[in-house]
Amino acid sequence: MAGSEPAISCRGVWKSYRIYHQRSHTLKEKVLSRRNLYEDFWALKGIDLDVSRGTTTGIIGTNGSGKSTLLKTMARILTPNRGSLEVHGKMSPLLELGTGFHPELTGRENVYLGSSLLGQSRRQVDERYDEIVDFAGIADFMDTPVKNYSSGMYARLAFAVAISVDPEILLVDEVLSVGDEGFQVRCHQRMAELRDQGCTVVVVSHSLATVRALCSEAAWIDAGTVRQCGPSGDVVAAYLDAVHEGLLPGAPGAPAPAEGSGGHTLTGEARILDVSFVTPRGGPCAALHTGDPVTIRIRTVASRPLDDVSCGIAIHRGDDATLVFGQNTAEAGYALHLEGESVVEFAVEQLPLRAGAHTLTVALHDAAVRTVFDWHDKRYPLLVRADDARRASAGAAYIEGRWSATALPAAAGLEERPGPPPQAVPA
Amino acid sequence: MATAVVPGRWAAAARELIGARELTWNLVQRDLKVRHRGTFLGMLWSLTTPLLIVGLYYFIFTFILQVTPAGDQPRPDGRAVPFAVYFFCGLTLWNLFANSVGASTTSVVGSAYLLNKVYFPRAILPLATVLSALVTFGFELAVLVVITAVTVGAPSVQLLWAPVIVAIVLLTAFGLALLLSALTVFLRDVTHFVGVFMQLWFWGTPIIYSLQFVQSRPGLVQLLKLNPMTGTVVSFRNVVLLDRPPGLKLLAYDAIVAVALVALGAWVFGRWQRVFSEVV
Repeated sequence: MAGSEPAISCRGVWKSYRIYHQRSHTLKEKVLSRRNLYEDFWALKGIDLDVSRGTTTGIIGTNGSGKSTLLKTMARILTPNRGSLEVHGKMSPLLELGTGFHPELTGRENVYLGSSLLGQSRRQVDERYDEIVDFAGIADFMDTPVKNYSSGMYARLAFAVAISVDPEILLVDEVLSVGDEGFQVRCHQRMAELRDQGCTVVVVSHSLATVRALCSEAAWIDAGTVRQCGPSGDVVAAYLDAVHEGLLPGAPGAPAPAEGSGGHTLTGEARILDVSFVTPRGGPCAALHTGDPVTIRIRTVASRPLDDVSCGIAIHRGDDATLVFGQNTAEAGYALHLEGESVVEFAVEQLPLRAGAHTLTVALHDAAVRTVFDWHDKRYPLLVRADDARRASAGAAYIEGRWSATALPAAAGLEERPGPPPQAVPA
Repeated sequence: MATAVVPGRWAAAARELIGARELTWNLVQRDLKVRHRGTFLGMLWSLTTPLLIVGLYYFIFTFILQVTPAGDQPRPDGRAVPFAVYFFCGLTLWNLFANSVGASTTSVVGSAYLLNKVYFPRAILPLATVLSALVTFGFELAVLVVITAVTVGAPSVQLLWAPVIVAIVLLTAFGLALLLSALTVFLRDVTHFVGVFMQLWFWGTPIIYSLQFVQSRPGLVQLLKLNPMTGTVVSFRNVVLLDRPPGLKLLAYDAIVAVALVALGAWVFGRWQRVFSEVV
């Protein structure tokens, strides 16, 4: 088993999707339209990648870069058009929760069916069955059809089945880690366990923190090719730099004008030209850090003088799109007048965002948001890094504060010395 | 150990199918459980339906049309075979075939949600439909043997041929299942077409009548003999009911057709299976 032979070996793997403009499924359509109109879209363009046995590899890249296609190709769900792909070892793909679950079957039956689809033998499932039921916490419902489960019960059972797999090669799509935070933690634990057992793990993830923490290696896929691969720390750093410099075509840093207006009809009388972040760490390209000052600089142009105009921003978390903060100049009581080109700035003394990916929405509209001049919905990435002390926290925002503790005199002393009543606290 | 993604040769494909036998059996169980769950009679339905059909045809032929189209030579011991039993015998074997082929067309498109999420040898999907028809056939066969024992007599040594005949039918069905399930991915009309065609095929097979019944028209007999189900049904009836040897010449022809169909089906399926997950 040892030796240098890679667990997965991709050699010049090309994969195209045929995008049908109008696909004919029935005989009538086939005869009438004669041929299908389609375009070939090359999702993978000559991937060369070796995944060494026993390593944990993260695949990162922007949306549409081909990383999920690569994972599905490794999982043999997709067949490459050109090139070869060799897999050495028993493989389980975890691309979704509850693969193959049938609503009419009971929990127990689905455990066996789902596990066997993930490549587990009946004996392996027998051994792990109690563990699965235990983890799902629904021992009383194992003989109930899963169509009668609550969505929470269903998710727990599906998740328990997913993390019970014990393959030689594990392929994981990040979809597994969405949702319940407990699942996420347990999922990472399980991946770490499998890694320590010598299992080869390949993870596709948007969470760079996950990749850095979990993976020894990383491969950065960009527009269907391997941009860089190597130790995960180096690859993630290089990727972050590129995202911040707006060099990636798929990255939100390079705005695509046609999309992302948040569903608003834009009048175009005022337009957002570009958005940058000014930080003390130099230049508009550098990473943002929790607790640092940062200024969001918005360049605008108006085709005619506009008085009733408001510039708004909104910050969403990148993982679950929770709105962290939103405000516009009208709400802030700042009267904005736009004429020709202008620069609107929003200065933050201490950035209260926690480490991770966020998006910035910038909009120009009238005070009542009835007329929308321009709206760049979640178009700008706000990638926040943090030092270790600030990283060790939880929640949507980072609140800068200092902890302290003072030993108080004996309790008896307190009674004799009445403190100020609560309402006397100065406003 | 090494598994190349590019599908290998036939032996490799067969090995892969055998390697996935647990999953195949799980899919068969799923089919059977889902089909009968929630119904009052459950598995009994797979017996009730053919028995009701036998009753219906018996009524039509005996009381309305007043013909008995089953005119095989009598058993060597001279005992007569009741028409209903005669019909039921052919029908069980036909059901094995028709249920396999009928359900197979949607076996791949109906599993689209699996194709996109996991890899398994795709051919186990049509294989599972054939095998679940085989399980149902097992129940019908048990009833048939009991009915035969009661009405005609204990099974003779000829019954040993039955597994061979069933194997030929299974091969024929599996070959067609491979072919039709792959075709349906690209052309959904196949499902409807097969539904109608199986009706036609039923009447073109001597199930409710015997070859002797039409022997006055040699052209028709020759035509019927081209049907690969003719030899198996006639032989099955011979060995189960009539205490006669199977029609070996017809059976050999059926076996050749069966192997050819499996080869054709496997070739088509093998060529197209790589794009199933993208097309369905």
